[in-house]
Amino acid sequence: MAKKDVTKPISLDPRGGRPREKCVTYIEGIDRILNGGLPIGNIVLLAGTVGSGKTTLAMEYLINGAKNGETCCYISVTEPSSKMLSNLQTYGFFDDALVKDGRLNIFDLTVINDRLGVERLDGTYTSKDMEALLGAFEDIVDELGVTRLVIDSITAICYQLPDRGSIRNFIFRLSQFLSTFGCTTMLISETVVDSNTQTYSIFGVEEAVADGVILMGNIIRQGDLLRSLQVVKMRGTKHSRARHLIELTPVGLAVVPLLKWGQDGGQAFT
Amino acid sequence: MSIKDTAQSIIKSINDGDTLTSVSLSAENFHSDTVKLVSVLVGKKLGGIYVTTSRPSSHIRAELEEAGADLSDLYFVDLVSMTVGGNTSDARTLFIESPTMLESILLNITLLERRLKSKRRFVIFDSVNGLSIYSEPKVLREFINVLGNSMRIKEIYSMLMTVKEQTNEELESALNLLSDKMLGE
Repeated sequence: MAKKDVTKPISLDPRGGRPREKCVTYIEGIDRILNGGLPIGNIVLLAGTVGSGKTTLAMEYLINGAKNGETCCYISVTEPSSKMLSNLQTYGFFDDALVKDGRLNIFDLTVINDRLGVERLDGTYTSKDMEALLGAFEDIVDELGVTRLVIDSITAICYQLPDRGSIRNFIFRLSQFLSTFGCTTMLISETVVDSNTQTYSIFGVEEAVADGVILMGNIIRQGDLLRSLQVVKMRGTKHSRARHLIELTPVGLAVVPLLKWGQDGGQAFT
Repeated sequence: MSIKDTAQSIIKSINDGDTLTSVSLSAENFHSDTVKLVSVLVGKKLGGIYVTTSRPSSHIRAELEEAGADLSDLYFVDLVSMTVGGNTSDARTLFIESPTMLESILLNITLLERRLKSKRRFVIFDSVNGLSIYSEPKVLREFINVLGNSMRIKEIYSMLMTVKEQTNEELESALNLLSDKMLGE
């Protein structure tokens, strides 16, 4: 009879230690890249250029969570929730019942602002407004028991904050209470490409405060636009740092490694 | 080697447990011989994915139907039809926008693989030369390497079809290094 193999498996995480509990995204390929999912309670900056698939990825993250019994919330800063809802109907993986059952909640920031009375003519929040807004977010997460949150976009909120210090303070405070509630959050960051280099945020502050940064972009290959995704940082887990190709399929987003040679020669981030 | 002998060698190769075979056919009968090979495989109750880079899948399907092949467990990944503005609505076919999107081939094979009902499965890649029109040799070599190894991991028998007259030494050597067997002319 053959001897039982008692070799201790090699740990996938070179740091050893005990892995943190994960929030499984259920998005093809992403959980593999993240070694099982996003660490629960992390605030993740989902940064990308226009058309790179940020909102789709964030929505699928919420929908998959809602399908698995979690309470999920999307705060729309840049467009009305009615428009967002009609866009959702075009996704094969969306189910109306998730909204009706209260597992997927969609809020308009403008409506929240109106109720709080914090809409300013000059478009800039005062420190009192910031407190009111943070309080409103906290109430939503606490009262509904939200475990997955998306703010689309944090960039639009940052534009209304008076300076970089306020941005840092706002995101830091946000991350503190979200982490306490065990709410895993995606903050969508609109980025631009300057001299072939893609930044993580417009203000250069958000990425320093966030626990993780996922960078999405468009690569030009012989005139065709390919969507790419790369995890730049993720506190609390080992993760891939390779660049991947992301594609919208009938069953949702899917991710495959990008060919290495396919990244050079006439190709750049846009 | 006749196409009948090539088909028999492929069946033997599958039974021997090989996972990746390069098949070289002459340009003259390339399309008809490839259709014959697929007919033999589906006739042996293998489920398959036909990746086409040289002709629209609708044409290949019509030829297979004419040959009396059982297409109940055969799916297509089509890199041609969208590029040339052909028919792109078919329940058994996934269409790729551009032949430069090589990674999409892997992704679409993965999606279709879940639909296959047969236990024994194959992927036929028709043809490696078709892709060389759009991709540099080094990109193509990398792609073949990734494709071959990902099929190995999935334990799907793969056939990389090449047109003999269009295959240079460099490509042949890359295929030789990757393949369990080199068959055909």
